Amino acid sequence: MVMENAISDASDFAHTPIPKLTQLDALLRCHICKDFLKVPVLTPCGHTFCSLCIREYINVQGKCPLCLSELRDSMLRSDFLVSEIVDSYKAVRDDLVRVLVETKKEDEDEDADQSVIELGSDVEEPALSQSSDDVQIVGTNERGTLKRAATDLLGGSSRSKFFKSGNVAKRSSTTSRIESMFHKSEEMAACPICERFFPVKELERTHLDECLTLQSLGKSPNPAQRKPKLREKPVLPRSTRIKSTSEAPKVSHVDKYIHSSAENGHQRLPKLDLSSMPVTQVKQKLAQLGLPTLGSKQDMVARYNHYEMLWNSNFCDSLDPVDESELKRQLTSWEASRKSNSTKSTSNSISNMMVSRASKSNSQEEYRKLLANFRNDKFSRKAWSKLFNKQFKRLVRDAKKRVVKSEASTKEATSQHESDDKEDVEDPLSDPDLSADLLNAIDAKASKPSP
Amino acid sequence: MASLPKRIIKETERLVTDPVPGITAEPHDDNLRYFQVTIEGPAGSPYEEGLFQLELYLPDDYPMEAPKVRFLTKIYHPNIDRLGRICLDILKTNWSPALQIRTVLLSVQALLASPNPNDPLANDVAEDWIKNEQGAKQTAREWTQRYAKK
Repeated sequence: MVMENAISDASDFAHTPIPKLTQLDALLRCHICKDFLKVPVLTPCGHTFCSLCIREYINVQGKCPLCLSELRDSMLRSDFLVSEIVDSYKAVRDDLVRVLVETKKEDEDEDADQSVIELGSDVEEPALSQSSDDVQIVGTNERGTLKRAATDLLGGSSRSKFFKSGNVAKRSSTTSRIESMFHKSEEMAACPICERFFPVKELERTHLDECLTLQSLGKSPNPAQRKPKLREKPVLPRSTRIKSTSEAPKVSHVDKYIHSSAENGHQRLPKLDLSSMPVTQVKQKLAQLGLPTLGSKQDMVARYNHYEMLWNSNFCDSLDPVDESELKRQLTSWEASRKSNSTKSTSNSISNMMVSRASKSNSQEEYRKLLANFRNDKFSRKAWSKLFNKQFKRLVRDAKKRVVKSEASTKEATSQHESDDKEDVEDPLSDPDLSADLLNAIDAKASKPSP
Repeated sequence: MASLPKRIIKETERLVTDPVPGITAEPHDDNLRYFQVTIEGPAGSPYEEGLFQLELYLPDDYPMEAPKVRFLTKIYHPNIDRLGRICLDILKTNWSPALQIRTVLLSVQALLASPNPNDPLANDVAEDWIKNEQGAKQTAREWTQRYAKK
């Protein structure tokens, strides 16, 4: 979940002992938004993008962004396997980066005080490096410095083989640093509590204490978190970790993939050439879908087109479709952000209406929850301002605008927008106390520049 | 102004942490969609030793729409006109959202290395280029010395 907000990049792996992970990371990203694939869809030309990204681009131009071949949205097919691969990768990525970065740091520390130590026998290594797939994967790694992170991945059984093949790879790059790391990895030992492997020193000094503390707190340090047996049983590591802290339901990406089906009883929305239809017909189409029929024809056409995209992406491509009200909420926020983007701020308030509508239906519950804590410490200011962000911004903007406009008749204007604002605010809030507070704050702001 | 899409933040970060050799791109303090760009003239071209200033703007619809790029430094090139506008397919018809600031600037740099007088924007320069390539290159070198000196 943290991942959603943080901006990660494939280059995060460039300076870890396994720089080739950069490629894996890059391949799991959409070439349009550069983020991890979200509801991936496959084109007939064999390229994969986020459903929404590619649908949005097809609305602009019917070409594949990567090979420029012709593309229509009806050609897109959802790709459940990639979807689950991405999700399970996202779930381990944070841990992976952390472990690798730690490993790297330790290596650098080691460098300072350890000399080169030759280990292993040259003769038997090449044979061993081909004896198992695990080892081969390891062996192809440029730097061959897998150490703890890799040991975790491979599990204890293949440990000895892995170390030897690691040595083969190292031999090619013969740096003293790597030799010393190799030596270090020989000193690994399993923690008796969490069963993960650590360098003996670290195990004795810090890890045992940490592990015992965690255990006494009732949080079992789960071995699966760092040592997923990817081959036989790809459980989702994050779900196990979450489980140790909270009671989140466990999701298996494998099960989800096996049971995935595109059938959910929803028809796809057709692409319509609304701009060539008369306005009344456009309104009719929107009304049929329960969408607002406000604004210019252009607005309505854009609204339908965006909703069609959201709908088809959600009901045709997604494994976890949300219901229509959530789609409408997304449409609302899209429209609002579009409005704030365009320089001409329309006093005709479609977005206002949409927002109040959204507040009434979807955000009502959230609003009630927040309101329950309004007068005590638990009140979440952030969530509150987020919920009403648009209204706040709009009120301030409108107020400022009017003050500037009618400097001559300031008083009149102030009273005017007070009444206007009241209308706007009270509708969604339906709490006279609060809206009065709000208005006071806004008035104070707005009337500052007036003489 | 609406919040900056994640992709733009990401690209900006990458441009700073892992810059393309010979190219710099810095976002403007007041407008993170506006970049000040410098491109070094490619070695072996008449623009060698020159440092060219450009501006790059990411429109609201980016990456669905191509970035707007323009030379600020005067340059003698058949595909770049007096106003600094660039005739480059990926900035117009062949734009794809899979491209990014980095690739666009690399393409501009490549355009300096291989001018295409058969698809001109600056007609007079292109004519000169076709009739007397050596002379045109000489002029380009002089302009580089005069306007784009590092």
